[in-house]
Amino acid sequence: MTTSLAPAAGRAVTRPAPGPRRRPPRQTRMLFLLPAAVFLGLLSIYPLVTLLRMAVSKVTAATLNADWAYTGLENLRAGFESGDTTAALSRTAVFVVVVTVLGMGLGLGGAIALRTSGRWSGALLALMVFVWALPPVVNGSVWKFLLADSGLVNTVLLATGLRDTPVPFLYDQYWALGAVAFVNSFAVIPFNALVYRAALLTIDPEVFEAAQLDGATKSQQVRHIMVPSVRPTTLVLLILTLVYGFRSFDFIYVMTYGGPGTATNTLPFLGYLQAFVRYDYGLGAATSVVAVLGVLVLAVLYARSIRKEEAHG
Amino acid sequence: MDINGNDARPTPRRRRWLTLASLAAASGLLLAACTGGTSAGGGDATGGSAGGDTVTVWHYFSDENQVRLMDELADKFEAEHDGATVENVFVPYDQLNSKLVSAAGAKTGPDVVVFNGAEASTLALGGALAPLDDYWADFADADKVSPSVIHQVDGTTYAVQGYVNLLGLWYNADILAEIGVEPPTTMDELEAAMAKAKDAGYAGITLSALPQSQGEWQAYPWITSEGFSYDEPQADALAAGLARVRGWVENGWLSQESVTWDQTVPFQQFAAGKTAFAANGNWQMGTAKSDAQFEYGVVPLPLSSTGGVYLGGEGEGIGAFSKNPDLAWEYLTATYLDAKGQLLPAEIVGSLPSRTDAAADEAVTGNALLEPFAQTITQFGANYPASVIPAQSVADVQLTLGQAWSAAVGGQKSPQQAADDAIAALGPLLD
Amino acid sequence: MNQVKAGPVAVATKLLLTLMYGVPILWILLTSVKSSGDVFDRASTFVFSPTLDAYREAITPTLWRAMGQSATIAVGATALVLAIAVPAAYGLARTTGWLPTVGLGMLIVLQMMPQTATVIPLFQIFSSWRLLDTTAAVILADAALLIPFATLLLRPFFRAVPPQLEEASSIDGAGILRTFWQVVLPVARNGVFTVGTLIFLLAWGEFLYAVNFYLTPGSYPLSALLAQQVSAFGINWPGLMALAVLTSVPILVVFSLTYRQLKDGLTVGAVK
Repeated sequence: MTTSLAPAAGRAVTRPAPGPRRRPPRQTRMLFLLPAAVFLGLLSIYPLVTLLRMAVSKVTAATLNADWAYTGLENLRAGFESGDTTAALSRTAVFVVVVTVLGMGLGLGGAIALRTSGRWSGALLALMVFVWALPPVVNGSVWKFLLADSGLVNTVLLATGLRDTPVPFLYDQYWALGAVAFVNSFAVIPFNALVYRAALLTIDPEVFEAAQLDGATKSQQVRHIMVPSVRPTTLVLLILTLVYGFRSFDFIYVMTYGGPGTATNTLPFLGYLQAFVRYDYGLGAATSVVAVLGVLVLAVLYARSIRKEEAHG
Repeated sequence: MDINGNDARPTPRRRRWLTLASLAAASGLLLAACTGGTSAGGGDATGGSAGGDTVTVWHYFSDENQVRLMDELADKFEAEHDGATVENVFVPYDQLNSKLVSAAGAKTGPDVVVFNGAEASTLALGGALAPLDDYWADFADADKVSPSVIHQVDGTTYAVQGYVNLLGLWYNADILAEIGVEPPTTMDELEAAMAKAKDAGYAGITLSALPQSQGEWQAYPWITSEGFSYDEPQADALAAGLARVRGWVENGWLSQESVTWDQTVPFQQFAAGKTAFAANGNWQMGTAKSDAQFEYGVVPLPLSSTGGVYLGGEGEGIGAFSKNPDLAWEYLTATYLDAKGQLLPAEIVGSLPSRTDAAADEAVTGNALLEPFAQTITQFGANYPASVIPAQSVADVQLTLGQAWSAAVGGQKSPQQAADDAIAALGPLLD
Repeated sequence: MNQVKAGPVAVATKLLLTLMYGVPILWILLTSVKSSGDVFDRASTFVFSPTLDAYREAITPTLWRAMGQSATIAVGATALVLAIAVPAAYGLARTTGWLPTVGLGMLIVLQMMPQTATVIPLFQIFSSWRLLDTTAAVILADAALLIPFATLLLRPFFRAVPPQLEEASSIDGAGILRTFWQVVLPVARNGVFTVGTLIFLLAWGEFLYAVNFYLTPGSYPLSALLAQQVSAFGINWPGLMALAVLTSVPILVVFSLTYRQLKDGLTVGAVK
C-alpha cells in the first residue's frame, strides 16, 4: 500500500457504523442502462435479428440481396442430417473444456503469482499482454512454426530423448484438436490473468496481514481469501471464456483450416465454412444459432447464480 | 478516502470526473469529425466507383511483384488515356467476395474487380459483376483469347482472364544430380526418384493438402491421373488417386504436415533446399529466384493420359455498380486483354498470357521456366472449375473434395472411406 | 500491495508463463530480422546473419498514416465504449428484477454473435446512414462489438463497491449522479482502467470491420496492413513479424501507462 493513502485508511476506521438502512430508490438507477440500450438497439439488434432470420431462410450469394424464402427449421435439419453439426458439437465440447480449464486455471494462477510486486512480475505481465494483443494471424503462425515437425517444441523433445519421432501436433486428427485448443487458451490466459489481478488488488491488504498473524499458509490464503473474494469476477470470466471457446475460429483458420480433413471443424469454424466458403448463409446462420443456444443455457445458469449472489449480498 | 465529497475544490476525483466527461465529449466530437468524409472521390462518400475519369480497381494482391504488376498496368492505362487515373484498392483475399456482395447490396462497388477466376459464379450470382456480353461482342480481338478463360454463368459472360496460372513439377537439380536421376516424365520415375531422395536424406515432395479449394486444386492432377472425372465421379478412381498420395506419406516421401500447408509454405520449404520436388505453380518464380540457393527447373506433372491440370488465375470483370463501365472496359482492353498488356504479367510474375498472339511472343517462348507450363496447357489443360459443376455448387464441390483430400493425406480417413464419403456428398451437388 | 513474498508455487507458475509467452516473442523477434530464405532453413534457426530489411521496408509513410488511423479508431472506440458501458455496468450492478437479468442475458447473446455475421447487416445500416468509408462507421461498429464485453466485465467491479458508501453519500445529500461520479467511480477505477486498456487493445487490433467499411485506398489502419503480409501468392514472414512488432509498440506504451495506474490505484482497502 502506498503511503499517501495511509491517512485515508485512518479515516476509514472511523467511518460511521451503518445506521438504520436508508436505501436510495434503487430502481432509478435503471436510467444508467438507457444509453447502452439505445446504442445496442440501434446497432446490435438488427444484426441479431438478421442472423435469426437467415437461420430460418434459404440465403445464398444469389439471394443475399434479394428476398429470402422462409424455410423454417430446414437449415437446422440439414445441418444435423449431414452429420456435420453433431460431429462439430462434440469437437466444440472438447475444445471448450480445454480452453476453459486451462484459461481459467492459469489465469487465476497467473494473477496470484503476479500479485507480487517486482520487476519480473511487471515484465511478465507486460509480455503476456503484448502477446495477447498480437493479431491471431501472428500468434497462430508462430505456434504453427513452433509445433511443426522441425519446430522448436519437437526439436527439444527429440534432443532430450523424450520422444523418438516428432509429435504430430497439427496434422494428427486427435493431437490437432488439442493443439488448437491449447493455443486458444494461450491467447485467453493473459486476459483472464489481467482481470483477475485487478480484482485481487481490490482485496483489503489488512485481511492478508491478519491471516498471516493467524499463521495461515499460502494455500490457505488462496483458498479462503482470494478465491471467495473474486467469485463475481470468476463468474463473469467463466462466461466470457466459455463464450470465447464457443465462438473462436481464427486460430483454427490459421493453424489447421479445420483439418486434417474435418478433424478440427468446431461449430464456429463450421459456420464460417458454410456461410463464407460455401456461401450458404442460411446454413451457416443456423450453425451459429446452435452455438448461441448452447451458450444461452450457460447464460441462464449465470443469471441464476447472480440472483443467488444478490440474495446473499 | 474522503467519502464526504468536499465540493468546491478541484479534488483529484473532480479531475477524474472531468476526464471522463471530456472523454465522452471527445468521442462525440470525434464521431462528428469522422463523418465529415474521408472519401478521395469527393461528393458522395462511397470510395467505390467514383465516376469521372477514375477507374477504381479492387484486388487482393499484396505480394511485392503482384503489387508492382498492378502499378504497371495502371501506368500503362494512364499513359494511353489522357486524364484518366487508376486507383488500386487492396482487399484481403478472404474478405474480397463478401465485401463485394455486401457492397452490391448497398448499390455500390468498384469499377473493375480482379478476383479468383474460380469464384466468378459466386460473384455473378451475388450481383457484384456486370454482364460483359455487349462489350465482348464488339471486341475485335475476341477470337484471339482462349475460350477456357472466359467465365460465363447461365450463358452470360461476366469475366475474362488476362493470363492463366497452373501447376508444374518443380525439381531441385542439385539433389537430382546427387542421386543420379533425370527429371521424371512418368509416375513411376517420380516415385523412384522420391525413394532415392529419401535414402539420400532428403524429403521427396511438397504439396498442399489443406482442406479447402487450394487442396482441391492441388489434388485434381493426381486424382484425374487415376481416371477420376467430375463428369462421371467414380469412387474407385478417386480412392486410387488419394491412396497413391497417402502412400507417399506412409513411405516418408511427403510430410503429413502438408495438411496444414497452403500453397505458399510448401514452396518455401522446397526453396530451403532439402526437398527434391514441389508440385507448385508458375507464380512461384519470384520466390524461387530470391530464396532458392540451388539449381532448379520445372517439368510438366508426370500424369497419365487422363490427367488434367487446372488453368487458374484471376478473372477480371466490371463492377455491377460501376458509374463508368465504358472507361472500365477501356482499362481492361488496354491492360489484361491487350497483347502488349498481357506480357506484363508474364514478365513480372511469370503468368501465361491467355491471348494466342501474346503467348507466342518471344518473352514467353524464350523463357525456360515458362516453357514447361506452356507445354502443360496443351497437354493437360483443364477448365477451372470443371464446366459440368453447376455454378451455385462450385464452392461446395471444391470444399468437399478438398476435405476428402486432406482427410486421406492426413490419415483422418482411409482413402477408400474418404472417396466414398466424398462421392456421396457430390451426388446432389452435381445434379 | 503489502509485501507478498513469492512462494515456490508462484515462482514455478511464473517460470511456466515466462516460457509460454517468452518463446513466441523471441521467435517473432528472430524471424523479423531474418531474410526470407532463412525462415525455413532448419540450420539457421538461431544462427543466421541478421538484417533490418524487413523493418526498413515496413517503415513508410503508409505505416505512419495507418498508425494515425489506428490511434483515432482505438481512442474513439475506447471513449465511446467507456461512456456507455460504465454507466450500464453500474446500473446492472445496482438494480434488481427481471429487466437487468434479461439485459445480462442479452449481453451474453450479443457477445456470442459471430463477428462475421454482423458485417453484412452493419454494412446495410452504414450505407443507409451514409457512413460508409468513414472512420465513424468503424468506431461505431467497434463500440457495438465491445460494449457487451465491457459491460459484463465491469459489472463485478461495481458490485464490489460497498453500498454503504453510496448510502453515506446520499445521506450527505448528494444525488445519484454525483454519488456515482464522486464515490463509486473512484472506488471502481481499477476495473475501469483494466477494462479500458483491454478495450483499447482490442479496438487497436480489430480488423474485420476496418477492412469492410473503408472503401478508399489509404484509409486502412495497421491491423489491415498486417493482413496484407499474408496472401495466396506468398507470405512475407519477416515482413509480417516486423510489422507485428511495430504495431505492438504503441500497445506496450498504453499498457505500461495504465499498469502504473493500477499499481498505485489501491483505494478500496481504505474504505472497507
